Amino acid sequence: MSDLIPIRVTVNGRARAFDVAAHHTLLEVLRDDLQLTGTKECCLVGECGACTVRLDGRIVDSCLVLAVESDGGEVTTVEGLAPEGGLSRLQAAFLDEGAVQCGFCIPGQVMAADDLLGRVARPTVAEIHEGLAGNLCRCGCYEQITAAVTAAAEAGPG
Amino acid sequence: MQTFTYARPATLAEAVATLEAHGPDARALAGGTDLIIRLRDGSVSPSVVVDLKRIAELRPGIRDGDGWLSIGATTVMTDIAADPRVARQFRALAEAAAVVGSVQIRNRATLGGNVCNASPAADTAPALLVYGAEVVAVGPGGSRRIPIGDFFVRSGETTLARGELVTSIELPVPARRMSAVHLRRTRRRGHDLASVTLCCGVDEAGVARLAFGSVGPRPILAVDATGVLADAGAPAEAKAEILERMYAEASPSPRSMRASPEYRRAMLRVLGGRALRIAIDRLAAGE
Amino acid sequence: MSAEIGGALVGDSPRRVGGHGRVTGLQRYVADLHLPDELHARLVTVPVARARIIAIDASAAERAPGVRFVMTAADLPQPMPRFGPQFRDRPVIAVGETKYHGDPVAAVVAETRDAAEAAVALVRVEYEELPAVFTIAAALDPGAPLVQDPSLRPGDPLASTNVLREHRVAWGDVDAATADLVVENRYTFPIVTHFAIEPHAFVAAPDGDGIAVWSSIQHPNWLQKILAQILSLPLSRIRVFAPDPGGAFGGKQHTKYEPLVAFMALRAGRPVRLVLTLEETFQAVRRAAAEVRVRTGFMTDGTLAFQDIAADYLIGAYADIADRVVGKGSYPGCGPYRVPAARILARSVLSHTVPSTAFRGFGNPQVNWAVESNLDAGALALGIDRLEVRLRNVARRGEAFIPFDTPADGHWEQPLRRAAELIGWGTPLPPGHGRGIALGIKSGPTTGLSYATVRLLVDGSVIVFAGTSDMGQGARTVFAQIAAQELGAPLDWVTVVMGDTSVVPYDQQTSASRSTVLMGNAVLAACREIQAKLRAMAARLHGLAEASVGVDRGVVRLPGRDLTVLEVLVPGLGRLGGELVGNGEMRKDAEPDHPLGGSAAFFEFNCTAVEASVDEETGDVTIARYVTVSDVGKAINPLQVRMQDEGAAIQGLGHTLMEHYVFDETGRIRNLGAIDYRIPTSLDLPLEIVSEIIENEDGPGPYGSKGMSEGALLCVASAVGGAVREAIGVPIRDLPLTPERVWRALQERP
Repeated sequence: MSDLIPIRVTVNGRARAFDVAAHHTLLEVLRDDLQLTGTKECCLVGECGACTVRLDGRIVDSCLVLAVESDGGEVTTVEGLAPEGGLSRLQAAFLDEGAVQCGFCIPGQVMAADDLLGRVARPTVAEIHEGLAGNLCRCGCYEQITAAVTAAAEAGPG
Repeated sequence: MQTFTYARPATLAEAVATLEAHGPDARALAGGTDLIIRLRDGSVSPSVVVDLKRIAELRPGIRDGDGWLSIGATTVMTDIAADPRVARQFRALAEAAAVVGSVQIRNRATLGGNVCNASPAADTAPALLVYGAEVVAVGPGGSRRIPIGDFFVRSGETTLARGELVTSIELPVPARRMSAVHLRRTRRRGHDLASVTLCCGVDEAGVARLAFGSVGPRPILAVDATGVLADAGAPAEAKAEILERMYAEASPSPRSMRASPEYRRAMLRVLGGRALRIAIDRLAAGE
Repeated sequence: MSAEIGGALVGDSPRRVGGHGRVTGLQRYVADLHLPDELHARLVTVPVARARIIAIDASAAERAPGVRFVMTAADLPQPMPRFGPQFRDRPVIAVGETKYHGDPVAAVVAETRDAAEAAVALVRVEYEELPAVFTIAAALDPGAPLVQDPSLRPGDPLASTNVLREHRVAWGDVDAATADLVVENRYTFPIVTHFAIEPHAFVAAPDGDGIAVWSSIQHPNWLQKILAQILSLPLSRIRVFAPDPGGAFGGKQHTKYEPLVAFMALRAGRPVRLVLTLEETFQAVRRAAAEVRVRTGFMTDGTLAFQDIAADYLIGAYADIADRVVGKGSYPGCGPYRVPAARILARSVLSHTVPSTAFRGFGNPQVNWAVESNLDAGALALGIDRLEVRLRNVARRGEAFIPFDTPADGHWEQPLRRAAELIGWGTPLPPGHGRGIALGIKSGPTTGLSYATVRLLVDGSVIVFAGTSDMGQGARTVFAQIAAQELGAPLDWVTVVMGDTSVVPYDQQTSASRSTVLMGNAVLAACREIQAKLRAMAARLHGLAEASVGVDRGVVRLPGRDLTVLEVLVPGLGRLGGELVGNGEMRKDAEPDHPLGGSAAFFEFNCTAVEASVDEETGDVTIARYVTVSDVGKAINPLQVRMQDEGAAIQGLGHTLMEHYVFDETGRIRNLGAIDYRIPTSLDLPLEIVSEIIENEDGPGPYGSKGMSEGALLCVASAVGGAVREAIGVPIRDLPLTPERVWRALQERP
């Protein structure tokens, strides 16, 4: 049984202190220890983006980050994007553009889109495709997701 | 994945001591985009993982001075691709960094990790070879500089000695203006491991440098100092003869499932030709 | 865009019901559920394609910290229970032999995921590798080892071969038919996998004197039936929860590891959960590969004289639903055309590979690739335009294009002409570009049974109970729109309950694009029953004859005035309150003499047209413009329909351009997982996608709708292949059209 390492991480704006095993990924700890199941497990090799979270201001595949590496840092998951029970403008745009089918990839898509809009206020279609290229959608919603990001960009920050 | 001891040294000396003490039983962790995958699939099972990201002397960043551009080993691809100095003077490296995986991957993958992982398909390797980069390594015996051409041995293996780690990768600001371009072949337009990576650079003195990867156990640099390749007006047959001699060093693996040896050789020729034309055009345009 | 009372919601595109949970991450898929006191399971496999199991030593694993037990065949009832939708051939866990790379031989159950994973490596399996067949040629070789025990098919002459079944369809006399030109070619379709972003997940827990099971299953009632049979329990003591799957595409239709997990939970006396890794899903489900030989006879004017099709499908080591895929998929193989004489022989060929199962298109894409490409070949040889040859031969509405089946149920020349128009067929092409156009057809469900219950509550809100699985196609929204429209409720006042066999009435299955038609009609019928009760209530309240009262969607019409539903419901229910309940049933009975067990409830019909260019130095295919037009009858939710069609197109581009399993020389899969199995990303889209629908309100579903969502995948490859052929001047008959494959074709170009 490995030793547990105490870490302190701000998760969705809330300072948390907990113990993690060295070999547990940030994805596992978020889902299993903090019950934040919005972030999903799929490929576990950094290809599908279903596990995308924001870590210290940048999106990462949380399946490729050890939980201990986030010590002292800030993590935002999909649950942290909008006020309790509410929707961010981006999330509303996803619904209005119909950019959701089975929904399993959507938390990751929304995280990546949120990151893109934070860096580029009015991204072109090409920039959206590149910015979300690390998020696979097998249902094939890419066009509608692109439209949602464009619509959210036009609506302005919120 | 199997468990391990997680070490988070605060100084370079600590890190070196830990790495030396454990040798092959220790693995350095920077971005984790290669290591975590291997830990999960069991292809490596270190007893110690040494996180390099809190080492005081190893902060990420790009510094220039003394005729060198020094890229900290823990600098991530996103920052390399976006740096105006890299874009201006070492454009092919910026191009290579921009295609290492997705945004999520580039936010974590480091230049040090890319070279130390020593994949024959490492995207940054051809550009580093063309630009004549040097790897600065610190180990129990002190610090030394390793020309990038002497760094890669084969897949997963470098000339780093036990206990050594890479602290920076340094690119000499060229005395003569050189324009270079990075190209690659993949199975789809979406991000992918490359089945051929290539960088071609042409300088004002007419020296052409061609580096290619994923067509053999390690990336290779070939240089043409005759001036023929760099000359836009030189006849195609003359260029072809020189290029064929360069490509002859390629030995793509027949066991790869990403592309056959015949296709790789063919794409080497296609990309080489295209890269040469682009490099010549860029030089002529003053880039 | 929210709904309004009394608004015409059918035909609008309100926000997806269930969408809020999906964009916030609050929606719980099976792997997000945790039960108190749960245990974690992991599967143990051997790293070869096929092996005889000599011995399993789990002692070290069982001694490991946190491990409760290791389950093997020896721990299960003897003889080993077997199951399967077509044949009861699949054991709960491998017994005596593993039959494909990834066939589990043991399962570890432990207190934590870590403990289970660590213990897997401690299970010692002594095995002897056996020769495996994993290609059609190898499986059909007379000396080939048999994949399936012949005793499972007593009296069947094919039992001594690896051919599971032969399916024959024929009409006219192909051998006597005369043709001015005969074109014969062989085409191949690769092995691909579903790659739903949600890996399969299963949880089982003892539940009083029964069991509760959570699964990402598309057919909860079918799973319940199989569990009842294997566990010898009455249906009433088995509760299957089926949360909305995170993508399924057919790969989650049929029972896989639920029985194993159930046995483990019963033994442990605690909940047990098994969540597959992505690699394990590649080893659990896939599409059948196929080799199709087509011989097409043409007259000089391009009309079809005959089709002679021989299709061999490579299915896996257990039949699952794969043989039905072969039979049903090959059946309309001649396409939506007038064909005077036809002969189709389709064979399901067993192999030591991952069991193939249902996958969007259900065996049709494989034959479509061959037959449409061959149609192009004939047109080219005759000098006839490929659009023209299709217009000349496409069946007109009402024609019995398959003589003993449902006649053509759409104006199919409309999608064909519209797609041709949208792609600019016949206009000049830039150099290096080519165009392709293809038609796809698939039979809808041949039998079906759906029950629905609708409850109109005293405040006018509605609960719909419908056992369909909403895996992204939007079934929840469709049923909510129907109920909202018929009962005059705002859309967000309609709750749809699915996925609980103890609460939701029976639904046979969610497949074959059936749910809008079958369950939709059941929901509509349930609403009609409530409307009848409202009529009776209004008549009683206002002293009228029932015949003079009408209920038209959300409005109660009395002579001289209209009332809202609430204005009748509240006084009608009186002081005790209550609710009105309606039940609906939609049934399509079997036709025992029909080759497929029943005629098609409807056809899915699609025309896809593509403009593509090829980089002749590298073989890269760029799709400049992609057009898809489907005949859908009526789009209850047009945005969802469009998304299904575009999604199907993008999914189809996967097997067309990049997806395929890579095997080593012994039959092991080399490219498990996401790094070396490539599916389309946002960067792999056509430069332009245009999707339209034809709505003639001529379908059997509510408001004239037909089923849809598979149609747009059927002829992706054929259309792209046609464009590539025109661009480079040579045909390629094998998929996927990877850059390397296209490059090779260019090298070999005369």
